[in-house]
Amino acid sequence: MTAAGPLAGIRVLEVGELVAAPYAGKLMADLGADVVKIERPDGGDPARRRGPFPGDAPDPECSGLYLYLNANKRGITLDLTSPDGRATLERLAARTDILVHDVHPDEMSGCGIDYDRLCAINPGLVLTSIAPFGLRGPHRSYRATDLVSWCAGGLATLNGDVERPDLPPLKAFGDQAGYQAGLNAVIPSLAALFARPLTGHGDHVEVSVQECVAGILELTFEYFPYCGLVASRLGAKPIQPLCFMECRDGWIFVCCVEEHQWQRFVELMGSPEWASLEIFETRLARGKNFDALRIFLQEWCRDQSVQELYEAAQAQRIPFAPVSTMGDLLASPHLAQRGFFAELALPTGSVRVPGAPYRSSVAPWTLRRPAPRLGQHTDEVLRELGAELADGTR
Amino acid sequence: MSSARNSPTGHGDVSKPSPLAGVRVADFTWVWAGPHCTQQLAHLGAEVIRVESTARPCVTRMLPPFADFEPGPNRSGYFNQYNQGKRSLTLDLKHPDGLEVARRLCAASDVVVENFAAGVMERIGLGYDVLQRLRANVIMISLSGYGATGPDHDKVSYGPAQVPLSGMSSLTGYRNHPPMHVGVSYGDPTAGLHGAVAVLAALLHRARTGAGQHIDLSQWETSIVVLADALIAQQLTGRPPARDGNRHPRMAPHGIFPAAGEDRWIAITAEDDEAWRRLAVQMGRPELVADPRFAGLAARKDNEDILEEIVGAWTATHEPDALTARLQGAGVAAHTVATNRDLSESAHLEAAGAFTRQPHPEVGQRQHLGPPWRTTRLASRATSAAPCAGADTDDILRTVCGYDDPAIARLRAAGTLT
Repeated sequence: MTAAGPLAGIRVLEVGELVAAPYAGKLMADLGADVVKIERPDGGDPARRRGPFPGDAPDPECSGLYLYLNANKRGITLDLTSPDGRATLERLAARTDILVHDVHPDEMSGCGIDYDRLCAINPGLVLTSIAPFGLRGPHRSYRATDLVSWCAGGLATLNGDVERPDLPPLKAFGDQAGYQAGLNAVIPSLAALFARPLTGHGDHVEVSVQECVAGILELTFEYFPYCGLVASRLGAKPIQPLCFMECRDGWIFVCCVEEHQWQRFVELMGSPEWASLEIFETRLARGKNFDALRIFLQEWCRDQSVQELYEAAQAQRIPFAPVSTMGDLLASPHLAQRGFFAELALPTGSVRVPGAPYRSSVAPWTLRRPAPRLGQHTDEVLRELGAELADGTR
Repeated sequence: MSSARNSPTGHGDVSKPSPLAGVRVADFTWVWAGPHCTQQLAHLGAEVIRVESTARPCVTRMLPPFADFEPGPNRSGYFNQYNQGKRSLTLDLKHPDGLEVARRLCAASDVVVENFAAGVMERIGLGYDVLQRLRANVIMISLSGYGATGPDHDKVSYGPAQVPLSGMSSLTGYRNHPPMHVGVSYGDPTAGLHGAVAVLAALLHRARTGAGQHIDLSQWETSIVVLADALIAQQLTGRPPARDGNRHPRMAPHGIFPAAGEDRWIAITAEDDEAWRRLAVQMGRPELVADPRFAGLAARKDNEDILEEIVGAWTATHEPDALTARLQGAGVAAHTVATNRDLSESAHLEAAGAFTRQPHPEVGQRQHLGPPWRTTRLASRATSAAPCAGADTDDILRTVCGYDDPAIARLRAAGTLT
């Protein structure tokens, strides 16, 4: 057993803010890599100001998003816009396997992130650059927040109220473009490391957040090259029921894709007379006549309990799912029994956060250390480096 | 292009080495989550062999869009997008001889990937214990809906159900409106990508220690890890973040605004006061900067309805791409809410090298999205299109599984290779 994790011994430098590069760093830190996070001395990662905070009281050492994304890392502060800071970065890069960052392309060289230069110092280095629109192409200098990336990648277009064309397309909760970018950045980075013993060198990996989002449009991107059709959030779904219904104590996702699932659901409802109407006979007919179907279904669901209906449907192999609240997840016996949540210590008390989303037969996931306080490990890391603690690099 | 097929892995770019050249993946996945995982490995140069059934073809082979509206198992854009560069072996796993082929394939593979319901691989005789006997250092990953253990492990899960199950839906929606979906089966790619990370870490671990492993991935859990801040909010503040449309607690304006044209929209966000000032100047309304209703983030959040009305009235008369260029030129984070057509016709994505167009025997050279990364020294994308069902069966049986031609003919005659 290697309790240290599959990436033990691998050194990662992260110059990351908010979600994209920090999530990439977290994925590798959680797998056992030694991840050193570099933050700007004036306030550090903006995730420190994001919250959620205990009692809604802002405190840069208590931001939930920061504490989650940066556990298992060490943190140092370095002003990369200063010559001393860049010199320290180069010394660190000389002993690093992967440097992952999300510094904007226009600011990379000013921060000392230049592949040719770093490669000359450490030919085995894998430099992974995450940029909103990549490092190539006419939009490489464009700026993006997470919402802008979600929209530029084409995902927002696919969601919204079908019956309210006046309402705008709707984003998903949270910084999802950032998570997608972080995930996609780790994959080619680890692959380059895997190949290094054979090739003898590292690589420069460039990740476009826009493309990360465009890559998960399910079947909709191809509607244009295959059929010349434009996909939209508007317009009815062909197959029903695949919808949210309100129960007496919350919401449930009613999901009958196959005919036998619908038939079992009808039995579960006590075979009401309306269910045998011709307009509900097939899944396509139910899609076409969903306005009527919804009224009947909603009337029946209103009296049900979410959990009871979920269990009853699942017992018949109908893939219903509850519209879980955060409280439901924290109370789930299944997630608890799988040991999914980890306890993260706060200055006062603690919170439960997601641990690893998979179990490995060789390397149990562990929370080895909490997220760093701003600059907590600067001296420690620089001592390791054997560098002089010159003013301006702290 | 035919030379790529004949290279040792089937996917070599002759000028640059592929990072996973020489790694073989037995791919028992279907629909989206599992194929999205092995798609990453195929782009990185692994030889990914999809084990398929003609009696029960992959759901995505049977879903639109079909090239030029003509249905067929090799004509789906959905399948062809997420199976680039893979090879296809058709096999009847219910037949004992078919199972033997699968065992030989696994014995010759570094990685085995599957996303059946929990327990199915054990039932058909391809559980981790069996695979380990066939190949001691095998890496196996199972991507199931709920994971292989725990009281809910036996529940059935469909892609779109992970969005509500994970809690994403309870957090997504317009203000004071019901919970909403997100538009795609978001749990599937998120599971597939986490799975690919786990496989790569396992390959590095094997290179260092010689040991393989089994990875039990829960799609429910990979869907929750991206919602951690909401889980923490629940615990720290006693309530989850409220559904609030496209708004953001620390930025205003932060929204999707109407643009000129039918169902055209533009996303505009002002990260701070300076970005808001630049936006107001572009709007030709510099006086708004000093307006007490909008001076500072707190004031803009208090007056966000009227702020959005003002911005929306201005954007509604502008073509979204031109407005994007103008706002980006002024340093404001903004972009057209892209449709699939916008992406397909994007000069930026074309110049950035985002697209692949590999020859395919039935649909020709269609435009697909390649991986969202570029590399300098290593090859980084599959060099062949998605396979037609069973296209590589004979070659795989011969070169990977060790069957001779008479044995292959017998298997085919017995209906095993379907």
